[in-house]
Amino acid sequence: MVSTLLSVENAAKNFGGVKALVKADLTLYTHEIHALLGENGAGKSTLLKTLAGVHVLDAGAITLNGKPFEQGSTRLAREQGIAVIYQEPNLFPDLTLAENVFAGRQPVKNGSVDWKSMQDQSRALFTQLGVSLNPLSRARGLSIADQQIVEIAKAISTNANVIVMDEPTAALSSKEVARLFAVARNLKENGCAVVFVSHRLDEVFALCDRITIMRDGSTVSTSLTSAIDEPQVIRSMVGRDVSELFPKLEAEIGEVVLDVQDLSRDGQFGDISFSVRAGEIVALAGLVGSGRSEVARAIFGVDRYDSGTITINGQRLHAGSPSAAMDAGIALVPEDRRQQGLFMPTSIAKNAAITMLSTLRKGFILRSSAERKIAEEWTKILQTKYASIDDPVERLSGGNQQKVVLAKWLATNPRLLIVDEPTRGIDVGTKSEVHKLLSQKAQEGLAVLMISSELPEVLGMADRVLVMREGHIVRELSRHEATSENVIAAATGAVTI
Amino acid sequence: MSKFLSKFFAIREIPVAIALVIVLGVTAFANPAIVSRSGALDIFLGVSVVAFLAVGQTLVIAMKHVDLSVGSTIGFSAWLIGKSTADGHSLIYTMMMVLFLGLVVGALNGYLVAYLELPSLVVTLATMYIVRGVFSQISSGRTIIASEVPKPISFIGLNSFYVVPYMFIVVVVLVFAVGNIMHRLRPARDLYAIGSNLPAANLAGIPVAKRVFSAFLANGLLASFGGIILLSRFNAADTNSGTGLELNVIAACVVGGVAIAGGVGTVYGALIGAVLLQSITMALGALGVGQFWQLAVNGLLLILAISLDRYLTLRVKPSTIMRVKN
Repeated sequence: MVSTLLSVENAAKNFGGVKALVKADLTLYTHEIHALLGENGAGKSTLLKTLAGVHVLDAGAITLNGKPFEQGSTRLAREQGIAVIYQEPNLFPDLTLAENVFAGRQPVKNGSVDWKSMQDQSRALFTQLGVSLNPLSRARGLSIADQQIVEIAKAISTNANVIVMDEPTAALSSKEVARLFAVARNLKENGCAVVFVSHRLDEVFALCDRITIMRDGSTVSTSLTSAIDEPQVIRSMVGRDVSELFPKLEAEIGEVVLDVQDLSRDGQFGDISFSVRAGEIVALAGLVGSGRSEVARAIFGVDRYDSGTITINGQRLHAGSPSAAMDAGIALVPEDRRQQGLFMPTSIAKNAAITMLSTLRKGFILRSSAERKIAEEWTKILQTKYASIDDPVERLSGGNQQKVVLAKWLATNPRLLIVDEPTRGIDVGTKSEVHKLLSQKAQEGLAVLMISSELPEVLGMADRVLVMREGHIVRELSRHEATSENVIAAATGAVTI
Repeated sequence: MSKFLSKFFAIREIPVAIALVIVLGVTAFANPAIVSRSGALDIFLGVSVVAFLAVGQTLVIAMKHVDLSVGSTIGFSAWLIGKSTADGHSLIYTMMMVLFLGLVVGALNGYLVAYLELPSLVVTLATMYIVRGVFSQISSGRTIIASEVPKPISFIGLNSFYVVPYMFIVVVVLVFAVGNIMHRLRPARDLYAIGSNLPAANLAGIPVAKRVFSAFLANGLLASFGGIILLSRFNAADTNSGTGLELNVIAACVVGGVAIAGGVGTVYGALIGAVLLQSITMALGALGVGQFWQLAVNGLLLILAISLDRYLTLRVKPSTIMRVKN
């Protein structure tokens, strides 16, 4: 007997000025596996975290089992029957698996924790899920797949009837995926609603009964899996036209600057071969976790690699040395500017000039006038807005911070610029300026390798698009061939359209 | 059999206990004179105060916090007990007052760390100074001498059951009581969860702030109660009583397997750690090694303990995060 278990109506949620949810709806029935799809930033995570009791909605209603759902407490969410299994499982590495399953709600007999019953129940749960895990061993070192099983055991033991799995298959082998599917179907048999979030459309179509698609914080559609096909799903997810927001300038393509052959690193990426020419912007597209940033870090020498070669202007690059990479003319603008790109409490001048220290010093003395001069020069070129060049970088807006990172690397006059998510968290105006700058630099002969999760950016800027999936380059698309459908299909492993 | 052995060695307290046996064995072999009634008494008396404080400190370190204020609290409490009873107050009334002191210090630490989320290292460093300052001001150089120490308190320090001083029996009773609580009670299990993975503890619905507050409160209370042990140990107290003890206590915990990174360790381990450190000090003394070298050896032992811990943790390889297509 199928009935409505949970319904979310008109959910809205803002974080500061960012609208994470605008008008999200979700209805779950008993006995169903329900896919929740959408691009990065579509609002899936916010919606799921609300159900988990982490966030409280600004507006909208959630009804669970016919009663209003009490928001804002993870404990209450669990007691009301919702269990969320995050992409990165949250276990206690120092505690036993039994303690992990029953953390915060251990069975009690005569006022003390009943270890025997806790272990027996955990063992029974693991058996029910088809794994032989020892409840007495500690969680440290468990594979991701087994960690997820522990999380699922936790969910079942709370008698949850809504079980949310956030990209559970991202780190699993095909055998482990099959095991997870069996578990999900088993839960469905028992009357639960399973919410399945995945970027892998083949899995969605194989497993799910209905599909809800979100875009820009709102629900676009909910339909039976049988009533929709992959191209329709992708179109609904992308939804918008790729406008000519970014002024891509025609550049003369020159000599090969970067040549990568058969680059591999165990567990991260394999058989990576590509080249970037002077004047060319090559985009590395793919889902988060597909290995794009790892390749960039290996090229720049931050991480080591197991095999393969990297050549810059015909010279073999010394592995595992960022200073060798810098000497060879490579610059890397990292993904997370706050953590990896800037010294937040330090002045704009010092941040912008830090890559130039060896040329700015006289003997052992750093000339701070020269430091300020070069910083002023570059921040002016990049139209960076600040009150004083001696202000700490943390006082700048995200867009202007990114300009300081770009300034510090462009000051080294690189031959190859690697940018990882160059415009993440930046307002539209500044975004366009960053794109214009990259385009101009390419026109002047700079080779650019751009990693980006934003499709419009990839399609607007790149001369060529390399799509990565699960650590491999699965497709190369020219500027003419690259469409959002093609890139998403290659990145998710869906059939080619 | 090998399965039994590997299980046996997986218990964190075992390596420390073995080290303790080796130290005692080597010392006894090198200098048989130490195997005597007075040698044993020395170790038990010497270890009591640190072992007593290590019990409360274990609660705090298990949560990945630290409490530096215990040395000041126990010193102030020891002095207060002597002063108050010398002024003619009953021991019961005196202990109520002393426990109130521990309650205030513990609650202040707990409030600042749990609810204002200030780092415990700095908070308890500050309360360590504050308590010591107030103590110095109030005591203004007044020393509690042996004749002023209440009879029951000097009794447990001066008398023993065979070679075990009554004072140490009090400590052992406390260790087993708290050890049992840590094993059996849900709120105590939560401390390990908090220390092992704080965000996960929050997601699991554990009332983290409440637990952190309670653990600091308990540690403050225990430290003030420990005033009895400190006073009994030296049969005297002055403004400097308890100075620097907090560091010995942390050392005992760490050597005993209560990892400073949180999530693991027991009060039994902390007790063994305290006895090991004390035994080594005594052993080196008996072997004619100077006092300063004894300190250096204790330092080396600390580094050895954390290195071993790091090695054992790293040996469990984290699983590969990403799947690579074959």
